[in-house]
Amino acid sequence: MTINYILQQLVNGLALGSIYALLAIGLTMVYGILRLINFAHGDLMMLGAYVSSIFISATVVPILLAVLIPTLLIAVMGLIVERTAYKPLRGAPEVAMLITSLGVSRLIQNSTVLALSPQPRAFSLPGDLTKTVNVGGIRFTQLDVLTFLLVIVLMVLLTLYINRSKTGMAMRASSENLQAARLIGINVNWAIGAAFVLGSALAGTAGFLWASRYGIIDPFMGFLPGVKAFVAAVIGGIGSIRGAVVGGVLLGVAEIGFVGFLPPEFSGYRDAFVFSLLLIVLLVRPNGLFGASEVERA
Amino acid sequence: MLEIRNLSVAYGKIVAVSDLSLTVNEGEIVTVVGGNGAGKTTTLRTVSGVLKPRAGEILFKGQSIVGLPPEAIVTRGISHSPEGRMIFGRLTITENLKLGAYNRKDAAGVKSDMERMFGMFPVLEQRKSQRAGTLSGGEQQMLAIARSLMSRPTLLLLDEPSLGLAPLLVEKIFDVVVELRNEGVTILLVEQNANEALRISDRAYVLETGTVTVEGPSTELINDPKLRAAYLGLD
Repeated sequence: MTINYILQQLVNGLALGSIYALLAIGLTMVYGILRLINFAHGDLMMLGAYVSSIFISATVVPILLAVLIPTLLIAVMGLIVERTAYKPLRGAPEVAMLITSLGVSRLIQNSTVLALSPQPRAFSLPGDLTKTVNVGGIRFTQLDVLTFLLVIVLMVLLTLYINRSKTGMAMRASSENLQAARLIGINVNWAIGAAFVLGSALAGTAGFLWASRYGIIDPFMGFLPGVKAFVAAVIGGIGSIRGAVVGGVLLGVAEIGFVGFLPPEFSGYRDAFVFSLLLIVLLVRPNGLFGASEVERA
Repeated sequence: MLEIRNLSVAYGKIVAVSDLSLTVNEGEIVTVVGGNGAGKTTTLRTVSGVLKPRAGEILFKGQSIVGLPPEAIVTRGISHSPEGRMIFGRLTITENLKLGAYNRKDAAGVKSDMERMFGMFPVLEQRKSQRAGTLSGGEQQMLAIARSLMSRPTLLLLDEPSLGLAPLLVEKIFDVVVELRNEGVTILLVEQNANEALRISDRAYVLETGTVTVEGPSTELINDPKLRAAYLGLD
C-alpha cells in the first residue's frame, strides 16, 4: 500500500463526503427546529438529479444551468412538501411527522416511476468535467474538484446567512426553543419554511453531484444517501450545521476507506459498516461531535 | 385594556381553565395568584395566542384577539415573558434582544430601545456578546424581561419572574416591574410569591382549578386572614 493509494482513497472519500455533507445540512436544520427525521430528503435529491439530467442531455446548455435549475426547483419543491405534508401536523406527536415523511418519500419515488420509468437511465456529463487528471500519481476528475469547491462555497454562504441574517437568527432561536420563539412573536412558519428551502436547495445541488459521480439515475437512488446523510448528521451532532459538514466528510472518508483498505470481499458490507458507525457513535457519544445535549436544549 | 370573558381552555380532555373572567385596566399592575395547576400559565399563553381557547372571548383595547397568531398579538402591543425565562441560551444577549424586536421595522427605534435596556440592566451590556446561557438565573430573568420589552408592549404578561431567584434578586425584579408601570406599561403578573406580588399590585385574582375564586384590591386580599391561610399559604 503506497502513500499515493492512501491519498487517492482520501480524495475519493472527500468527494463522496462532500455530498453527504450537503444532504446532512438540510436534515440537521429541519431536525433542529421540528425534531423531524425527514426521510423524503434523499428523494428530493433524486428529483434534483432528474431535473439536472434534462439540461445535461441538451449539450448546448451550459453546465451552470444543470446545477442552478435543480437547486432552485428543488428548493421550491421542499417548501411545497413542508406546507402540504408537515405543516398540517404542527403540534402533533413527532412520530406522526416521521411516518408522514416516510409516506412522502414513497410518494415521490413512485410518482417518478409512474411519470417516467422505473428503469435507471444514464447521466453522462459532457465535456471535460469527468476527464481524469493525474497529479503526482493521484487521479481525480475536475468534477471532484468542483464538488469540493462548491460544497465549501455553499457552506460558507449558508453559515453567513444563518449567523448574520434576521431569518437565520430566527432559525437558530426556533431550533433552540420553538415554543419560546412563537411566544415572543417570531413567525416560526417562516423560519421552518426557510430551513426547508435552504436544505432542499442543497439537496437539489447534491442531486447533480451524485448523478455526475455515478453516471446513472433511478427513482430509488435517493433513499439510501438520504439515510446515510442522516447518520452523518447524527455523528456530527444533530442540529449543528458545522457538525453536519464534519460528519458528512468523516462518513464519506470512512466509507471509502472501508471499501479501499479491506479485502474486496468486505466491500459488500459498506452500508452495514456505515450503520455500525452510527451505533457506535450513539453508544459512545450520543450527542455527536458538536451536538448540544437535550438538557441544554430544553 | 385587556378583558377576558368566560374563557375556557383545555388540553385534549383535560380542562385547564374554565369560565374565567379577568380585566386589566390601563396603567394597572394586576396579579394572578394560585397554586400549581390553577391555570395561571395557561391563561397567559392563551392571551399570547399560543393556545386556542375552547370558549370565551379575549378583548385587547376593545378588539377580539382570539384566533390571531402570536406574532400578530405581539405586534398589537402584548408581550409575554414566559415562565422559566426561555431565553435562547446559545444565542448572544444582543441577539436575544434583537429577536424581541423581531416584528419591528424601525431599526433606529430598536437600537435606541436596546440602549434603554442596557441602561436598565447594566449587567446585560457588560456581557452583550456572550451567549445568554452563560448568564446566572437572575441575569437570565432580566434578559427575558428586557427581551419582552423590545417589542414596545403596552401590556406585559410576566409569568413567575421571581421563580428560583435569591431574595435580593427578587427585590430587584419587583422594583423593575414597578418602574415599568411608572413608565406606562400595563402589567399582568403571575406569581407564586404572592406576598410580594400583592404588595406591588393594584388588584389581584386568586385562581383555583382553572377559575377565579376571589378578586379584589391587593391591599384587601393581602390582609384577609382567611385568604392568607387558604389560598396564599401565608401566615
